[in-house]
Amino acid sequence: MKGTRRWLLQLAVVVLLLTLMGVLINNLAVNLIRTGLGLSFSWLSRPTGFALAEHALPYRPSDSYAWALLVGWINSLKVISAGLVAATTLGVLAGSARRSTNPLLRGLAALYVSVVRQIPLLLQLFFWYFVALLGLPQSNPSPLGSLFSLTNQGIAILGVHLSVEFTAVLLGLSVFTGASIAEVVRGGLDSVPRGQWEAYRSLGLSERLGLRKVVLPQALPAILPGLSSQYLNLAKNSTLAIAVGYSDLYSVSDTSITQTGRAIEGFLLLLLSFLLLNLLINAVMQVLNRAVIRRGQRS
Amino acid sequence: MRACKALIRHCRFYPIDSVLSLGVIALINWVLWASVSWIVQAADWSVVSTHLPLFATGSYPPDQRWRPLLWISLLAALTLITLIVPIKRGSNRWMGMVLPWCWVSMIPLGLVLMAGGLGLSNVPSRAWGGISLTLLLTVCSAVLALPFGILLALGRTSDLPVLRHSSRLYIDVMRAVPLIAVLFFGKLLIPLFLPMQLEINQVLRAVVAFALFAAAYVAEDVRGGLQAIPQTQREAAAVLGLSPLQSLQLVVLPQALRIAIPALTNQAIGLLQNTSLMALLGLVELLGIGRNLLANPAFIGRHLEVYVWLGALYWLFCTAMALLARKIEHSGPTLNGRSA
Repeated sequence: MKGTRRWLLQLAVVVLLLTLMGVLINNLAVNLIRTGLGLSFSWLSRPTGFALAEHALPYRPSDSYAWALLVGWINSLKVISAGLVAATTLGVLAGSARRSTNPLLRGLAALYVSVVRQIPLLLQLFFWYFVALLGLPQSNPSPLGSLFSLTNQGIAILGVHLSVEFTAVLLGLSVFTGASIAEVVRGGLDSVPRGQWEAYRSLGLSERLGLRKVVLPQALPAILPGLSSQYLNLAKNSTLAIAVGYSDLYSVSDTSITQTGRAIEGFLLLLLSFLLLNLLINAVMQVLNRAVIRRGQRS
Repeated sequence: MRACKALIRHCRFYPIDSVLSLGVIALINWVLWASVSWIVQAADWSVVSTHLPLFATGSYPPDQRWRPLLWISLLAALTLITLIVPIKRGSNRWMGMVLPWCWVSMIPLGLVLMAGGLGLSNVPSRAWGGISLTLLLTVCSAVLALPFGILLALGRTSDLPVLRHSSRLYIDVMRAVPLIAVLFFGKLLIPLFLPMQLEINQVLRAVVAFALFAAAYVAEDVRGGLQAIPQTQREAAAVLGLSPLQSLQLVVLPQALRIAIPALTNQAIGLLQNTSLMALLGLVELLGIGRNLLANPAFIGRHLEVYVWLGALYWLFCTAMALLARKIEHSGPTLNGRSA
């Protein structure tokens, strides 16, 4: 009796979902026929006609949409991977600072986290781009000369030139995500029993050594899951790069969709790229997680 | 004062730190001094002060501006009252019963005040803007996302495979895509998926897209709460003769939701911050107003003033929400049945 009810309920859900999808797809088909669009991916091989300010691979406006999307994807990967490193560094520093013995450091870290987390990332991006970077002087003679220069044309470090757009997105993403990572790290540190802290202090280990050798290894299993969800957030938030004109994957997709009118196909490609990116980050984090757990078991 | 004493005591133990600390204190003083002198002297606040109604209500018809303003002030008043009045069981019972209903009534009230009806003249949604639109977007999407998210969480934890897998697929896909893509999709494609006769306005489209997106995150938070409820609770409910539905409604969900409150608060705060994305997609909410003002050649070089002002406003809203949530969390019974 109970079994039949279960099956009936599931059947009802399936019918409901299929009907809903059917209605939506039917409407879509009607609308696509009405607008004369239809579904097709042949536009991917057509030339784009738009320029991209930044491209790691050679790119010209006569190249195809598919190529432009690939260039955008690489630009996204570039800013995401740099952002991951910067945000992690900042987050670990700020998170540990919140449990530091120095009250000044604690206060500064708390201020950073509470201010940055309560202001939208988009506003912060605007600030970095329009105020902090575009507000720099045209030329900024520095004593370091060719080693390091900081102007409103971008940043040059040892011959590597970073564009203003890239720098703004990188700063915005890492400062914003760093604050969230700091909270994750603080939570992880709090999960280590107080006795462990007292133990290394009574053993005469320095704060830095004790944190590195005693506390952090035990905090890591609690930190990693939170960290990976912050990484995924950073990757997703990198799409806000469009606001400052950095040509990342989303920005290229957006332009392509506007030019070709291929919203559904463009959206499907975007969805696939992000699923791929998520799988990538998840896989890396899982490997890390396993390594940490294995190390924890060995010791 | 206590912090100073702690710092002095700390520096006595760590001499190198005291040098560094002195440097940092000097730096903080310099930053503070520079900021204060900028705020008081260098900054030109006219771009903000002459456009206060614009920031609050957008391009709402001037003779009707009292409506969004009234709604914002009621919300602010209600927030203050909720924060000040102690809600403990036993004491102040009356307030504890009336306040939730006040909050619930703010949503239809806001919609009527903004859109018109009941004797008020109609104002089209393209005239909405500013703080009132930001708050309306947040409140409406949150109210839609919560029940949908709870349903998804129940589906995700159900032992019926079809329910479980379809909920899981929805949650995983939604959590994999960036919000701006969902909003763009909503703006561009929701009309394509609807019958041709049915046209919905841009604010509603945004609310639907926000709600669909946020529901996936709400579902994961609620699932966390559901998993924290021991199986014995369901068994106890079954022994008492409650049907599965009653057990869910009276025993499991109330406890699970209470556990999920901190996480849900973060989602709500995130939702409020995320409404700023609509500035990129053609709605003039709070950030959109700032952008429009800065596009005006008369205010070239006034970026910092506008951003500081907007940042302060967003900070205020988010902090108020966090405080409210803490208040709710600490009122009423906890898992152990004791009042926190």
